[in-house]
Amino acid sequence: MGTDDVPLDDKAKRMRDLLSSFYSPDPSSTPNAPSKHGTLDAINTTSFDPDQYMNLLVQKSNLEALLKRHVEMAAEIKNLDTDLQMLVYENYNKFISATDSIKRMKSNIVGMEANMGQLLDKIMSVQSRSDGVNTSLFEKREHIEKLHRTRNLLRKVQFIYDLPARLGKCIKSEAYADAVKFYTGAMPIFKAYGDSSFQDCKRASEDAVAIIVKNLQGKLFSDSESIQARAEAAVLLKQLDFPASVREFAEAIRAYRIIFPDSGRQLITLAQDLVINHFETTEQYVKRRISSANLLGVLRTIWADVLLMDEVLHEAVLPDFSLEAAQGAVKKYVASTFTYLLQDISDVLLRVNVSPKEAAEEHPLQVALEASRKAVLQGSMDVLLDFCQFLDDDLGLLVKLRDFIIDWVQEGFQGFLSALDDRFLLLSGRKNSSSPDQGLTEGAHSEKVLAGLVLVLAQLSIFIEQTVIPRITEEIAASFSGGGARGIENGPAFVPGEICRIFRSAGEKLLHHYVNMRTQRVSALLRKRFSTPNWVKHKEPREVHMFVDLFLQELKAIGIEVKQILPQGLLRKHWRSDSNGSTTSSRSNPLRDDKMSRSNTQRARSQLLETHLAKLFKQKVEIFTKVEYTQESVVTTIVKLCLKSLQEFVRLQTFNRSGFQQIQLDIQFLRTPLKEIVEDEAVIDFLLDEVIVAASERCLDPTPLEPPILDRLIQAKLAKLKEQNPITP
Amino acid sequence: MQGGSSGIGYGLKYQARCISDVKADTDHTSFITGTLSLREENEVHLIRLSSGGTELICEGLFSHPNEIWDLSSCPFDQRIFSTVFSTGESYGAAIWQIPELYGQLNSPQLERIASLDAHVGKINCVLWWPSGRHDKLISIDDENLFLWSLDCSKKAAQVQSKESSGMLHYLSGGAWDPHDVNAVAATCESSVQFWDLRTMKKTSAIERAHIRNANYDMKKKHILVTAEDESGIHIWDLRKPKIPVKELPGHTHWTWAVTCNPEYDGLILSAGTDSTVNLWLAPISAGDEPNSEGIAESPTQQADPLLNSYSDYEDSVYGLAWSSREPWIFASLSYDGRVVVESIKPFLSRK
Repeated sequence: MGTDDVPLDDKAKRMRDLLSSFYSPDPSSTPNAPSKHGTLDAINTTSFDPDQYMNLLVQKSNLEALLKRHVEMAAEIKNLDTDLQMLVYENYNKFISATDSIKRMKSNIVGMEANMGQLLDKIMSVQSRSDGVNTSLFEKREHIEKLHRTRNLLRKVQFIYDLPARLGKCIKSEAYADAVKFYTGAMPIFKAYGDSSFQDCKRASEDAVAIIVKNLQGKLFSDSESIQARAEAAVLLKQLDFPASVREFAEAIRAYRIIFPDSGRQLITLAQDLVINHFETTEQYVKRRISSANLLGVLRTIWADVLLMDEVLHEAVLPDFSLEAAQGAVKKYVASTFTYLLQDISDVLLRVNVSPKEAAEEHPLQVALEASRKAVLQGSMDVLLDFCQFLDDDLGLLVKLRDFIIDWVQEGFQGFLSALDDRFLLLSGRKNSSSPDQGLTEGAHSEKVLAGLVLVLAQLSIFIEQTVIPRITEEIAASFSGGGARGIENGPAFVPGEICRIFRSAGEKLLHHYVNMRTQRVSALLRKRFSTPNWVKHKEPREVHMFVDLFLQELKAIGIEVKQILPQGLLRKHWRSDSNGSTTSSRSNPLRDDKMSRSNTQRARSQLLETHLAKLFKQKVEIFTKVEYTQESVVTTIVKLCLKSLQEFVRLQTFNRSGFQQIQLDIQFLRTPLKEIVEDEAVIDFLLDEVIVAASERCLDPTPLEPPILDRLIQAKLAKLKEQNPITP
Repeated sequence: MQGGSSGIGYGLKYQARCISDVKADTDHTSFITGTLSLREENEVHLIRLSSGGTELICEGLFSHPNEIWDLSSCPFDQRIFSTVFSTGESYGAAIWQIPELYGQLNSPQLERIASLDAHVGKINCVLWWPSGRHDKLISIDDENLFLWSLDCSKKAAQVQSKESSGMLHYLSGGAWDPHDVNAVAATCESSVQFWDLRTMKKTSAIERAHIRNANYDMKKKHILVTAEDESGIHIWDLRKPKIPVKELPGHTHWTWAVTCNPEYDGLILSAGTDSTVNLWLAPISAGDEPNSEGIAESPTQQADPLLNSYSDYEDSVYGLAWSSREPWIFASLSYDGRVVVESIKPFLSRK
């Protein structure tokens, strides 16, 4: 495999092998090398394998080459032998001379010890003498040093006291450079003691310096002065640490350039660094929550500075440079504004989650919906208004960025709204619905909390689709049209149609999710009801079973939630009586009465036949219609799904006569309250009948309760309910 | 109502819940089904699709002592099948043999090869190993899992081993792994349990409530599809049982049955109590990590996994079976006793 590319990277490979064998941290890894690089270069490596080398050589070369290689190799071996001999000889020589040197050192060192002893004695006596001198002079030296220090201090104090006068003199003689030198020299002392001992001095000096500064500035800006002098003035001002504005910087540049005409490069870097610095600060600033006005103020200042510098240093192309930097800053600002908006909205929504029970409000969901609607619409409008300030401003920088800003805002909305959709799904728990640790008890609790929120989110999605997006579109059309920095082929960045579609489907999904969550709770109830008793050994029905109460309670809770969030539907009475109302009602009761009168053996078969016939002649009742955003539609859908579940649970059981009668009683009782809360009575009638049919089909002896008994049991239940709860009918 | 006209219908006399593909019949596409009537004489129908594929012919009609809650055809002998039945008060399970020359007999009687009579509670299903000849059978009741060894020639079935599902785990059904003769999935109220038949011990579980039905992918190992009452269809990779690999919306009401196509990758049929049968295309690619679900969601939203919805049924659909001989054909059975055989050929081209 390696044979083909050997001639190409011959040398490189050899080098690499050598290097890798040298640097290889683990020597055990080198044995792999020969198998990997089976080339003729391996001869120089430590991992050289003669057998492999021979094989390779014999395989690759013809006889002539082999012979040639043989001659070459013989020569090489001879050379190597000579080299080896030379090396050995040289080493031997060196060894001999080293032995000689050691011998000589040995003989020289004899007698040295005595000399050393003498030397030590002499040094000792010198030291004791020197100590004597030191002690006798010590006191005087101390005194002199103290005097010297005092004198120095006094001189400094004198200098400070003289400073105002001296500065005055300098001003008179225009020796500003000296003045600055003096003043800066005295600065540390003023800093340390300026507020106490030297207060007056400091003040006087500062006055003088103020005059100096004024004069220097005058000098700097007066054209009559020589360039040299002006430059000097600029430098001096800088030394005085006078607040260096860009204006002075510009002046300094102007002066500097005249003095050092070749220094443009450095100046450009300097100026650009300054701009970069400004924008870095700005970007930090943008990360906090600020308004456009704040950002505008900052940008305006920067731009003014940039223009000023541009006048003197045109080569630095500062406007273009800062345009680029500003682009980054404004873009970041737009992005962070949308992030904050998203955060605000989800904060509002999360509050729904927290306070369903403790809140004393009567309609917590309604309040939440209003709050979240406001958060979305007002939030978006505020953001747009805020961005408008960028466009309305005539700042040169922003005028140039105009197209970009338009695109960013459009893109921003597009991204923000998609993110909002994601957030909704997350909040509704649809995204983590597959989380495995959803315990039954805990799950049930959190679902109860969530169901209301899901409904709020569904309605909010519709509000966004129908109100917020058109408003945003309008505003964008009015203020943010154009753009086009993205290029025409990409189209506008904000595509309201797409976003509308996203929210429409999100709304539908969320509404379905709500319906599902609620239906599941009822299903759990029904499952318990039907899987617990032994239906084949059921006792005679004595009263309406309590699962009916629980079922109605659940529906009531749903009603309360739905009424807070969804609008009322249109009245549909006429529609109902027109289509399937009459057919269904004519179907159920007469048929059943008829049926009951038949003989036992005949009954079941004819019953099935009748069911089929009835279905043939009847319009197929649409049980599973589309859910609409109205109170009635949602409640009706849930009731329909629950009744269908009821039917399915019944079909899985086998009943004795009493079990069947119990079902008959419970269903009969449900009829009235269910019809009160749903929009399509006919369908409810149909589904309730279906439950009874299912029960009779699954019954060993489907003899229904006598109507008077049925009636009496239902009246008893109603009376009991009234007793418990006198206010509600 | 789309696709309503394409199906070929066949009516049973009474209500019915179960239909099974007669896999061992390699010459014809045939199905076997049985009625569910508490008070009437129940029947088992052997149905064959005519060679032109235009009509369903009743090949055999046999009476069955009780209403049939579960029925499945033996995968290696076309004349043998199992049923689970109920008298209304008690349950039973048996292995039946269709008599030879049944076409010439006047009123052919099914021969009961064996009774799986070790059960006490409600029996849910009898499972054959789906991939070929195997002398073992599994039956599942509310609380126990039984492994039977079946000897067709001696006409005997004996309990080989038995294990209880544990307290408060009411089993509702199961599926036998076609790739592993020792692995069985059993559905119960709050999870799917996986059993090793050698040790008769639970090996793992998917914690998920209200699973109605589970079905192994015939082609791919470790893939299990489950149907749930309210929350649709989930596809699981059994090596990562925490989170499903895919979710499908299922049906408007409960999703009752789900079955993977024996031949075409990712084709799934589901039947629901909303009187529809849905055909899904949800191939599991190697990159479908459960973690990447969030990212993968948007593309799947764009391509609707629902290929078709067959809605020409009058009642809930409980029975569903692919033909293994012609894997583009399936039979469905609604509660009112109507068998509908459909071809999915028009949708195969879209793949």
